[in-house]
Amino acid sequence: MFFLRYLERDISIHPSFFGNSVHQRLKDQLYADLEGSCNGEYYIVCIMDIYNISAGRVRPGSGDAHFTILYRAILWKPFKGETIDCAVSSIKPQGVFCEAGPLTVFVSKLHLPPDMRHNPDATPPQYSNNAGDVIEKGSAVRVQLIGLRSDVGNMYAIGKMSSQWFG
Amino acid sequence: MAAPGQSWLTQDFGGDDEESDNDFNPGLEMGSDAEADDDDDQKPRVSAQRSGSASEDEPAADSKTNGKKSVSPVKEEREVAADEDEAEGEDDAKEEDNGEDDEGEGEDLNGNEDDEEDEDEEEDDEEDEDAVTSRPRKRRRRGLNQFFEEEAEVDEDDDELEAEEDDLGPEFIQDTHPDDDLPPEADQDDRRHRELDRQRQLQQSLDAEQEAAKFRERYGRRTTTALSNSSFVPQNLLMPDVNDPSIWGVRCKAGKEREIINKLMKKFIESQGSRNPMRICSAFERGDGPMAGYIFVEARRKVDVDDALTNVADVYPRSKMNLVPVKEMPDLLRVTKNRELEVGGYVRIKRGLYQGDLGMIESVETNGLEVTVRLVPRLTYGMDEDQARPGAADAKRKRPNNFGPVNSFANRPPQRLFNENEARKRHDRFLQQNRGLTGRSWSYKGDLYEDGFLIKDFKLQHLITENVNPRLDEITKLTRTAADGSELLDLESLAHSLRNTTAEGNYVPGDEVEVYEGEQKGIVGRTEAVTGNIVSIMVTEGELTGQLVEVPVKGLRKRFREGDNVEIIGGSKYRDEVGMVLRIKDDKVTVLTNNSNEEITVFSKDLREATGAGGAGAGASKFDVQELVQIDPTTAGCVIRADRESVRILDQNGSVTTRIPSQVQKIEARRNAVATDKNGSEIRVGDVVRESGGENKSGTILHIHRGFVFAHNKLGIENSGIWVARCTNVITTAAKGGRITAPSTDLSKMNPALQMKRPDMSMAPPQRPGRDPLQGKFVHINKGTYKGHRAIVKDTTAGEARLELQTKHKTINISKFDLSVVDTNTQNKTRYEDWIRNRGGPSAMRAGPGFSGSRVPDSGFGGRTPMGVMDGGRTPAWGTASRTPAWGGPGSSALESGRTPAWKGPSGSQTSYGGGGMTSYGGPGNHSTSGSRTPAWNAGAKTPYGADHGFSSSGNSGFDAFAAGSRTPAYTSSSRTPAWGGPGNAASAPTPAARPYDAPTPGISAPTPSASGRYDDDAYTPYLGAPTPGAGPQDAPTPAPGFAKNANKEPLKNNRLGFDAPTPAASAPTPYASGAFDAPTPAAGGPRYADDDDED
Repeated sequence: MFFLRYLERDISIHPSFFGNSVHQRLKDQLYADLEGSCNGEYYIVCIMDIYNISAGRVRPGSGDAHFTILYRAILWKPFKGETIDCAVSSIKPQGVFCEAGPLTVFVSKLHLPPDMRHNPDATPPQYSNNAGDVIEKGSAVRVQLIGLRSDVGNMYAIGKMSSQWFG
Repeated sequence: MAAPGQSWLTQDFGGDDEESDNDFNPGLEMGSDAEADDDDDQKPRVSAQRSGSASEDEPAADSKTNGKKSVSPVKEEREVAADEDEAEGEDDAKEEDNGEDDEGEGEDLNGNEDDEEDEDEEEDDEEDEDAVTSRPRKRRRRGLNQFFEEEAEVDEDDDELEAEEDDLGPEFIQDTHPDDDLPPEADQDDRRHRELDRQRQLQQSLDAEQEAAKFRERYGRRTTTALSNSSFVPQNLLMPDVNDPSIWGVRCKAGKEREIINKLMKKFIESQGSRNPMRICSAFERGDGPMAGYIFVEARRKVDVDDALTNVADVYPRSKMNLVPVKEMPDLLRVTKNRELEVGGYVRIKRGLYQGDLGMIESVETNGLEVTVRLVPRLTYGMDEDQARPGAADAKRKRPNNFGPVNSFANRPPQRLFNENEARKRHDRFLQQNRGLTGRSWSYKGDLYEDGFLIKDFKLQHLITENVNPRLDEITKLTRTAADGSELLDLESLAHSLRNTTAEGNYVPGDEVEVYEGEQKGIVGRTEAVTGNIVSIMVTEGELTGQLVEVPVKGLRKRFREGDNVEIIGGSKYRDEVGMVLRIKDDKVTVLTNNSNEEITVFSKDLREATGAGGAGAGASKFDVQELVQIDPTTAGCVIRADRESVRILDQNGSVTTRIPSQVQKIEARRNAVATDKNGSEIRVGDVVRESGGENKSGTILHIHRGFVFAHNKLGIENSGIWVARCTNVITTAAKGGRITAPSTDLSKMNPALQMKRPDMSMAPPQRPGRDPLQGKFVHINKGTYKGHRAIVKDTTAGEARLELQTKHKTINISKFDLSVVDTNTQNKTRYEDWIRNRGGPSAMRAGPGFSGSRVPDSGFGGRTPMGVMDGGRTPAWGTASRTPAWGGPGSSALESGRTPAWKGPSGSQTSYGGGGMTSYGGPGNHSTSGSRTPAWNAGAKTPYGADHGFSSSGNSGFDAFAAGSRTPAYTSSSRTPAWGGPGNAASAPTPAARPYDAPTPGISAPTPSASGRYDDDAYTPYLGAPTPGAGPQDAPTPAPGFAKNANKEPLKNNRLGFDAPTPAASAPTPYASGAFDAPTPAAGGPRYADDDDED
């Protein structure tokens, strides 16, 4: 689910960047640091605008200047139970890996529609049933997330497609 | 007889009832009834199990066993019989038995009469014999029975009921009376009630003294136990005492106990009808506990035991027979509950080759003595036998030698499935295939093997059936593998065998649990407390919400939901894995592990909700997944799974091994390791690479170790997604984002101070030039086999060009300096050297490689590669930076600085140099000896060229010298330049450390001038120039040859010789130089290198 949210970010800048372009530099750094990042809870898709850049404060000892930036960003936070569309990125005998943007979703064979069979001989490998439905690399699938795991800079989910309206 | 007995009984009954003693005596009866029931439950089982299936066959024996504890009639009978007539006693005994078995039958009367007779007698005797504790009980019981039978003719059940009621007194009756739901008996009850009242009155009528006297009379001899603590009375009254038959313990062959008992049983039955029946009351054994090797026989006399045991095999009545003290008798009969062995259950072998091995029960013999067990065989197939004496093998086996390979527990062969091919190798004669449906059944050395498993019969006493605690790895070994490779692991039976061993501690307060068995099935809640095997649950769902319910662990399972993060805590091999729940079926949970993306199925009891964001491995192992470890001095690997006791490693060769943690060592990861991929691009840790060829795997580089790349693919399932390849087999697809664009690392760009230092750094890694401008050009070949051909340059290296000939379909490699570039428009040919030089600014850069190439047409530079590269790298620095920065820097470098002083001094002395080309020679000679010659050079060099100042001032780093040298020609193409070059080189040569470099460089510089000269003169000159410097590697020679070529050969040689003399090596160069003349290229190349190496 996408959210629009005000966020804060502290950035330190090396003294050699002090000058006219320090704000530009801050922005650059903010964009570079955050856009597309994941903090384990949500992904920052895009920074909409920057509201406020605090006055710089020099850190004793290092000489770095410390700025606090208030910005607004579009976030994407996947939820357990959420249904998302994603693209299949790889097919394994154990199941299917899909990608929904930055999020990798694993759909175990147990959670694929029961009539889907792994067919390793096809090129590319695929899951297929007698009705002619095929899940192969690149297929667009609809998946319900049943579990989420967050690591430090990453998220990982498992999903299912076994209900009727998925797949 | 009946009448007096009856009257007495009535009286007695009344009397008994009024006595406090009687109050509990009936209770006792109840209790003992219950106990008798218990006994019936247990004893028969004991006899059924311990002494075989006797109980069905012989009720008599059974009843005796029964009776024994609760003071059997048999005993009394025996007693009486002993007193009076033996034969009669025996008859009685029979009758008694019958009577006991079917109570209230026709015969019963008879038996009862007898009993009463006895009792009467005893009563008359005032029970001067020690009253057997339970005797009154029985008497009473019988009395009751009789009483009611005769008076009221109530049936058995009623009798007992009545007895109980009576015993419990009026309150009980009052209680029960209204509740009694047997209307037909209502009047009876009423009658009984009245009767009881009557008795009460009777009781009261007896005065206390009388009562006391009676008491004393009866129990006077007793110690207080019976009276004082009534709660223990039932037990105590049941205890055997000296009047009971004694129990003798008889030695027997250990392990044969049960068989003996079975034999005795048979013998007893047979002897029943014969003239002298066995006169033992019972026989039993205690299994294989501490009393193994004994059977116990209960009899009145020892002789009876002896008689009974004669002619029974395996028992040794002649040896010392132990009379079991009365006190210990009860302990002997303590019932230990025996676990039922089920087919499919797990056992362990106690001793022998398979000691401690896990086995699965295939079948259980009906007598419960033997069990067929499936094991993973430990076979050597004769590999351990002495080949020289094949016959001795079997004989040896018979001998119980402890050091024999088979007997030794430590050396026993590992568990492996039976392999008929291996067995055939040596033991073909022992091998037989069993004709069966499966065809996978073999007989080998008398044992049966099915599907690779050993099927063997074991005696029960050789098996451990309790606390087997099978481990999952053992179980998987024992598990049949289906034809399709899937394992037929019967989790169901495993679950069953494990459930019994459920230990405490699996449940922790706060676990969400569900009751799936028993009355409270379906309850869901959180555990509040765990005490022993009882768990208190706070119900969270359903009607009972908020209530505390206690449930046994057995019917409980933890509850998870799909997607939960769980940690495996149980004893399985997956312990400490963290993963997400994929699927739950009953109490089996499928978990996708975080580390390895594996799906594993475990029991829910082995799971626990993972705390927080599940990290890897839970720190159980000292290694982490993806860590680089050293397996042996030549092999490194990457951890793909870290368990507590083992580490699974993918080594650099791509094979997966399992080690224990102590066998491997961590390697400090070099974060900044750099390697080049297949295309020569730089790859670092964190880059994304793709395998070229093979499976085209891609992944992020985890480690670079000695030419191997360990990479991780997030989607990979195999080996936790980690794979390994040679650096040269991967292609980088994306450098780590941060490296190129990292915003904070560009400090150097902003900071001029940092930038200043840059040139220094340029020395280290060679800067690769861009695309060689020669590529794609149309060229003419000047030399060699293909002289005169035209071709297109397909590719270039430092010194060579790869050409595609126009005339033939062929691609050849040839030195760039053997080429002329043909202008496609004008068809003008330009020698490569010139062409490259004329290309302007960057030419300087190109000059480096170009020269090197030129100098050593064949291998010259190639062999030297590092050097050559260095030169190449340096050349641009000279060219572009001119001297200014570079000079200062290099000049200051330690190597050259050392020299500088030397320079100056000699320079003065060497003025000769300045004078002429040859003078320079003198210089070189000095060099060789003093190394200070260079200065001389400077002087000479400088004079003509302003440019050379560099030398004198900057100190002469080899580079500078080069720069000077190389440049000079550029400045002036006059004949002098070569001379210059020579000197210049020579100058540079002196620097000792720089020598290797310098030496070549001079070479380089030399050619240049010569090249320039070449226009005017012949083509070879440069070559000459080149070799000389090559020779130059030795200090002296270098300059010398350089000079020689440039100026005059003769003098050179002379000079050289003179100079060279000091350094033996120096002598070498000369010939080269000369050789160079003839066949410059090869000769120069080979030797030079050698020299270089020496120098290095």
